[in-house]
Amino acid sequence: MIDIDNLELSITDPESGTVKPVLKGISLSIQRGEAVGLVGESGSGKSMTLRCILGIEPRNSTVSGDIVFDGENLRALPAERMRRLRADKIALISQNPHAALNPVLPIETYLLEGMADAHRRNAQATRARAADMLEQVGIRSVDRVLKAFPHQLSGGMLQRVVIAGAISGKPGLLLADEPTTALDVTTQAEVAAILDEKRRDLGMSMIFVTHDLDLAAAVSDRLAVMRHGEIVEIGTPEQIRDSPQHPYTRMLMSIRPTLSGTPAGGTAYDGGSTAVGIPTGGGTAVARVSAAGNSASSVAAETQIGSTL
Amino acid sequence: MTSNESAVLGTQPAATPQRLPAAAGRLTSLRRRLGWVGIACAGIVAVVVLAALAGQFLVPYDPTVGSVTQRHLGYSAEHLLGTDQAGRDIFSRLLAGARTSLIGPLIVVITTAVAGSALALAAVWFGGKTDAFIGRVLDVLFAFPSLLLAILGVAIFGPGIVTASIALAVAYVPYSARVIRSVALRERNLPYVKAAELQGINGLTITLRHVLPNVWTQILTGSTINFGYAIVDLAALSFLGLGIQPPAADWGLMISNGQESLQQGFPEQSLYAGLCIVVTVAAMAYIGERLGGRAAAGRSKQ
Amino acid sequence: MRFLARRLSALVGVLLASSMIVFGALYLAPGSPEQFLVQGRTVSPEVLAAIRSQYSLDDPLPIRYWKWLSGLFTSDLGRSLLTQQDVGALIASRIPTTLSLAAFAAVLIIAFGVGLGILAGTRGGFAERIVIFASNLGIAVPTFFAALVLMSVLSVGLGWFPVFGAGDGVVDRIWHLTLPALALSLPAIAVVARITRTAIVDESESEHVLIAVARGLPKRIILWRHTVRNSLLPVSTAVGMQIAGLIAGAFVVEYAFTLDGIGALLVNSVQRKDFAVVQAIALIMVVAFGVVNLLVDLLYAIIDPRVRLEKGRS
Ligand SMILES: Nc1ncnc2c1ncn2[C@@H]1O[C@H](COP(=O)(O)OP(=O)(O)O)[C@@H](O)[C@H]1O
Ligand SMILES: [Mg+2]
Repeated sequence: MIDIDNLELSITDPESGTVKPVLKGISLSIQRGEAVGLVGESGSGKSMTLRCILGIEPRNSTVSGDIVFDGENLRALPAERMRRLRADKIALISQNPHAALNPVLPIETYLLEGMADAHRRNAQATRARAADMLEQVGIRSVDRVLKAFPHQLSGGMLQRVVIAGAISGKPGLLLADEPTTALDVTTQAEVAAILDEKRRDLGMSMIFVTHDLDLAAAVSDRLAVMRHGEIVEIGTPEQIRDSPQHPYTRMLMSIRPTLSGTPAGGTAYDGGSTAVGIPTGGGTAVARVSAAGNSASSVAAETQIGSTL
Repeated sequence: MTSNESAVLGTQPAATPQRLPAAAGRLTSLRRRLGWVGIACAGIVAVVVLAALAGQFLVPYDPTVGSVTQRHLGYSAEHLLGTDQAGRDIFSRLLAGARTSLIGPLIVVITTAVAGSALALAAVWFGGKTDAFIGRVLDVLFAFPSLLLAILGVAIFGPGIVTASIALAVAYVPYSARVIRSVALRERNLPYVKAAELQGINGLTITLRHVLPNVWTQILTGSTINFGYAIVDLAALSFLGLGIQPPAADWGLMISNGQESLQQGFPEQSLYAGLCIVVTVAAMAYIGERLGGRAAAGRSKQ
Repeated sequence: MRFLARRLSALVGVLLASSMIVFGALYLAPGSPEQFLVQGRTVSPEVLAAIRSQYSLDDPLPIRYWKWLSGLFTSDLGRSLLTQQDVGALIASRIPTTLSLAAFAAVLIIAFGVGLGILAGTRGGFAERIVIFASNLGIAVPTFFAALVLMSVLSVGLGWFPVFGAGDGVVDRIWHLTLPALALSLPAIAVVARITRTAIVDESESEHVLIAVARGLPKRIILWRHTVRNSLLPVSTAVGMQIAGLIAGAFVVEYAFTLDGIGALLVNSVQRKDFAVVQAIALIMVVAFGVVNLLVDLLYAIIDPRVRLEKGRS
């Protein structure tokens, strides 16, 4: 699906001229339908890795290395071809949905403009599809949400909208950059569960960035641990949990708030914590969480809309 | 409206200057902060200031006395820039005019800085009702376009450089008070100021010892920028015949005096005087902006 | 609506306070009010009596203010101290010129200020540098100097435009007002172009624009719908403030081009010490200034859904 080979990125400070290495040779391969969790402390270069895949690294960046996606090298693609890929094949879900959406346009515009087929099919069909997508992510009062402006919706609600937009084109690869970090604790698990469920349903690959090891483990098939612009360890959640190789990984494992003797079968969703638990049996815990999340989320969605509109 | 305004302009507090021990260090730091264009601008300003200080001793002719037989002369060795409609040497008038063209703005800037900081610091220190009251007073002043307030002042106290300058300063005060207030408010809420207050140190002392020095940069850069505006606004008043009165040499007045000659095809006097204003103002604005006075630069002139 | 009511009442309060300043200014003047109003002119006892009654000088101060203020509401602005003309009529005859000048300048500000700012903000490179340079220069050029240079080059030198007068008929008026409007709007165009450019550059660095790129939206949509459109929201406020500022800038330009607007009338009245006219015009300008500023705020509240919907809720 995607092969990142020896990706390096450095950023030059325009004032002082100093060059800061940010990514120091990242290599990572992801299979079709596979989810990889990217964990590591803040500033380790997780977001920059995603931005390099999309070709939206900051100005004054120098990038080297190859990123091959479905047989095409993304780093050497003409601009228009890259734009089509972003529109159809690779979707990004970022940390803060309130910053990600244009504050002065209604949700409807956000969804419709993102649907690549908007100009091909008639407007009514596209709108119906947007409504359908919203329902799929657990939003009930679809019409009101479509007409709402971003500031009228809660972070959790807005992140659902973003997820709906991201999966509407059935992209092959989802890039989720700490999609739940900015949300309040009670909605974090719901949003993670919806994302996880939809991804599995549609068979998409995913890179899930977080600094929450447990959350990453819950939604990913493999975990990659990043530090100072390098991937220091990569393996299945079980491998990482049971026999962490790198001292940094061991340190990460030891400072986790929960999970010091996780029972086999995984911990269920615990309302007060962000931890979803490492599923040893293949995602059962997540399924449970997502089932609970779905019903709870609809209720939350209604309340939210009721109070802001 | 102010919040929008500052959003547009990215209003920021001025950076506090680093203290460098040696004079040489100070010079390099100045160069770094101003850039070469900034140094050139500083040079221009220095020339103007020199002309203002010593111009009257350097002039080749008496700037206020002319001769009817010498009207509208072109460039020559005797009259570098020619003569005006009254036969006065334009170069001498420009040189002598630097003084009046700077004294007015100086009055404006000092009055504005003193009154503006006094109001701002009082508002910040006493807070509550005092702050609200001062805010209301400033709101009323904001309701007047600044040049209008100045004209009203002149209408009452009669034309002249001092009345015009003070009237203009009154119009500037709300803008500078508002900017200084916001900086001072941040300062006042810093832990060490709070601590001093808890120790029972008297409010005036804290304000003068701790708050004032920290808003000083703001006052200074704001004044640099106000100076440019004041040159233009006072020149406008002179142009309207409401500032300094003839036959004094003043750039704004020269532009006005030259208006008739200009219509007869002798634009020199107006042109040179105008260029003096433009170049001086542009140089000062550039320096002010480089020194980090973006906050005060937000205000447009009339 | 509560927003509107709050803004309106604030405006009324400020205007009342301003009217007290305009009214009270008379008593700040050195000497007695009569002396100040008459200014050493020799006047007949009848005229003096008329002036005394116009300013109700025999009544106590609050009553004087009240009479003056209620006079304003019945559009009785008093009589000129010099010519005994009715001030209201005098001003009314001058207003069309000032309004056309300001409207013309406002159009220029919107067209060129915003237009050049968008050009600089979206194109970058040479266009951007030219606009930045020109706008720095434009800000430093005083209105009256711009007026004289334009007059000297385009009217006196090339003879393309008339040197003074406001013209009759629409076409002739536009032709007469072109140079004054240009001079009046130049500094504002410079300021607006600069603010527009900065706003566009800032907006293009905002996260939602980055995300729009990441979503593969067409370049055109990112530029116009997400970058330029958003950046114009704050710009609209700046444009409005500049247009409000034209009210004060107008008298310099009117004076320079000898146009018969209220600005030139104000300057002439100050020069001739006709305080009744000065007071009336000052008051009209303050009201106009306040109303334009209020309209700008309302406009902003309408075009920005964040403000609009907040207000709608309260
Ligand atoms: N726009 C930028 N300009 C310069 N440096 C940046 C920029 N964005 C991020 N960096 C630097 O790149 C490094 C990696 O950042 P990032 O990928 O955002 O980390 P994270 O793992 O928290 O997502 C950080 O050290 C950060 O300082
Ligand atoms: Mg990040």
